[in-house]
Amino acid sequence: MRLLEGIRVLELGGHTSAPFCARLLADCGADIIKVEPPGLGDPGRRKGPFAGDDPNPEKSLPFLYLNTNKRGITLDIESPTGRLFLDRLLSETDVLVENFSPAQRDSLSLDFDSLAAVNPGLVSVSITPFGLAGPYRDRPAEDIEAFAWSGHLYHSGDSDREPLHNALDQAWYVAGVNAATAAAAALFQRLFTGRGQPVEVSASECLAAHMVQAVPYFNYMGAIKGRRPIRGSGFEELMPARDGYVVPSVQGSQPWSVVADLIGLEELEDEKFSSGSGRIEHGEELKELVARGLSQWDRKPLFEASGQRRLVFGMAQDSGDLYACPHLEERGYFVQVDHPVAGSAPYAGFGPCLSSDQYEITRPAPLLGQHNQEIYGDSLGLSDLDLVCLRAGGIV
Amino acid sequence: MLRQSPLSGIRVVDLSRVFAMPYVGAYLADMGAEVIKIDTHHAAFIDTTRTITGPYPDNDPGREFWNRAGTYQTLNRGKRSLTLDLRSDEGMAVLLDLISVSDVVLENFTPRVTRRFGLDYPSLRKARPDLVLVSNTGYGHSGPWSDFGAMASALEPTHGTGAFMGYLELDEDGSLSASATPNKIGNSFTDFLACWSAQMAIMAALYRRALTGQGTWVDLAMYQNGVSFIGEGLLDFAFNGRPARRQGNRHESQSPQGCYPCLGQDRWVVLTVRDDRDWLALCEALGQPDLASDDRFADPITRHRNQTELDRIIGGWTRSRTQAEVVEALRSSGIPVAPVLDGEQLLSDPHLRGRGLFEVVEHPESSGIGRREYLGRGWKLASADVAIRGPAPDLGEANGYVLEEILGLTASQVKSLRRDEVIGEELAGGAAPGVVPLQRQAELGWIADYRENFSP
Repeated sequence: MRLLEGIRVLELGGHTSAPFCARLLADCGADIIKVEPPGLGDPGRRKGPFAGDDPNPEKSLPFLYLNTNKRGITLDIESPTGRLFLDRLLSETDVLVENFSPAQRDSLSLDFDSLAAVNPGLVSVSITPFGLAGPYRDRPAEDIEAFAWSGHLYHSGDSDREPLHNALDQAWYVAGVNAATAAAAALFQRLFTGRGQPVEVSASECLAAHMVQAVPYFNYMGAIKGRRPIRGSGFEELMPARDGYVVPSVQGSQPWSVVADLIGLEELEDEKFSSGSGRIEHGEELKELVARGLSQWDRKPLFEASGQRRLVFGMAQDSGDLYACPHLEERGYFVQVDHPVAGSAPYAGFGPCLSSDQYEITRPAPLLGQHNQEIYGDSLGLSDLDLVCLRAGGIV
Repeated sequence: MLRQSPLSGIRVVDLSRVFAMPYVGAYLADMGAEVIKIDTHHAAFIDTTRTITGPYPDNDPGREFWNRAGTYQTLNRGKRSLTLDLRSDEGMAVLLDLISVSDVVLENFTPRVTRRFGLDYPSLRKARPDLVLVSNTGYGHSGPWSDFGAMASALEPTHGTGAFMGYLELDEDGSLSASATPNKIGNSFTDFLACWSAQMAIMAALYRRALTGQGTWVDLAMYQNGVSFIGEGLLDFAFNGRPARRQGNRHESQSPQGCYPCLGQDRWVVLTVRDDRDWLALCEALGQPDLASDDRFADPITRHRNQTELDRIIGGWTRSRTQAEVVEALRSSGIPVAPVLDGEQLLSDPHLRGRGLFEVVEHPESSGIGRREYLGRGWKLASADVAIRGPAPDLGEANGYVLEEILGLTASQVKSLRRDEVIGEELAGGAAPGVVPLQRQAELGWIADYRENFSP
């Protein structure tokens, strides 16, 4: 039995955070029904880039990635009839995950009391930028604003420039994985109490929880941690090698001589570099020497030689490097997924490897309304004619 | 209704070090698990957050510095501490006995060390058949790189995140291009991704275990796990052959978006114009309504194309205002805007405080730490008792409790473990951490700034 086998999840909202949460639950074996508004569907379908740069709602790459292993239906949950069907679905649902704004959520009557009246065992997960209560609850935010308000952005980038945001909506991904944890915790608790509960996830606070140094720096000694200083010794920073960038590192409990020997420049063997304080004192000279040494290396041979010597160097890899990575290949990490409209490509798999499962992607992201027949027909017992009625009314 | 702790009755053996996995243990303790951190009093093998990472109250390590570091306290709150020298047969025997009466084990040794100590899943399963074990490593327990050690700041570019991050540079002809240099999201981002994924896997594994009695091994490779957070970016290569795109602080389709300077030292705001409505509201807020009819910015396409000029206009406006003024002016116009908060501002933010993000811990008087606030969690379970339970443990404070009460050793057996240096409550070996005055740290760029005579 897979970890969350037998759990049914209903996903509302869209874009990134709720879909990522539901994808992780799906990857643990839960059965996901993704509910999209008829017509345009999940707003994530309009997010680029697109397969073949064709802005077709079935070809959004973020959407394709975030919605594997799910079934999809359309339903206008704002209409009274749509709400009736939503409630029928909710009565057979274990987890509802949505990322509407607090105002949308109120107008849709998705508060826990209304939901619990339909299904007292329901775990209802709400993901928002700032939470459902508090002075900023109604402030709009894109990913960069969530990063800024979490304290994370201030510490990203170089100290002599403006803070620098990371691409790819990482705030919403971090919120999504936290939401999946909280949902699973509520399911675990339900085993003992028999009751569901509301779960509230604030994306900016999930990111703020990363500040395990900046916060104690201030409230232990009044110090404000900043962005990376530009004047370093070259270690623990991105440095140019012959074919790209590497991160040389002195961490990993090996003596300096091992590091100096790996980089392979005689001047580095000087005793004055062997201690941490010496490397700080002679930082500028050291950085120049390291740069000279690294310029004789390509990234991958240096990285592998470092690992073999129990050092912990890194290297900057791009998408193509990762797809060609022999290590990920041997671990069977990328999974070929064939989508009926977008086509076939290798997808990144689940993060953790579980002894209980051979990880699979059994379904590509659903086409808009792809499983209407299956779910309304088989699960809710509607006939084809009933569905025609609902379609004509714009409900599905 | 009485709020219950989701994990009450669950015992966790936390063998892990540094950031990612200890923080997992901290959250399990917040949820009510009994988390026993396995420490050692031998300085060469101790968790370095006790001895190297800092910070110390008033920048003073004090005598028992190994119990006083703020990052250690954050990552290990609410746990118990058992010291064990795992190089000794006696220490390993105690560990296996403890695992046999525990539910979850967290460890982050490299696979080579895990095997050498017999802490691999097949071995531990013999001690506890329904164990949930998380083995967190850089590269996982299979594959050609599996024996490589790792650390988050070197992993981050390795798992591709750095490729999607970088400054935009102004070319000689005035156009912008992505910097050739990838950047890092910083703050050991990779560690936290591993932390969150491990928590999710543990909660799901405990759920199944309660239903089926089956344990789970979570082979968590931080490298692979990091890739799973950028999968959408990789598909651009798979489908379109396009490498990662670096776009500074800009948004792929919504313009302008950026990070703009305000009055004061190192003060910034970010804002995003999502659509025409936001754009008109921004023009109004900037006091430049004529911009709204400027052809260069008439639609999302032209705003995207001419964002360098827009950045100049917006930056010119923000530069002469405080961060609070900019946020207030733009907030009322309804566009996404946020101050870029530093650690001090984070701790005083009325929203985060009002929501209870920071939880107070009263430290025992002997610690000299006093009353401090710690980061709570980004999620809330309405009917559950989830909270920071207390300070991180002093070295070996639970030696007696674990060895005598849980494992039933006699006082004389405990005494001989102490005599043989298997357990100990005082750090053995190593030097006290050197202290660099905050003023000097600021000069060196290790910190951005500091407040004199700070009190919490």
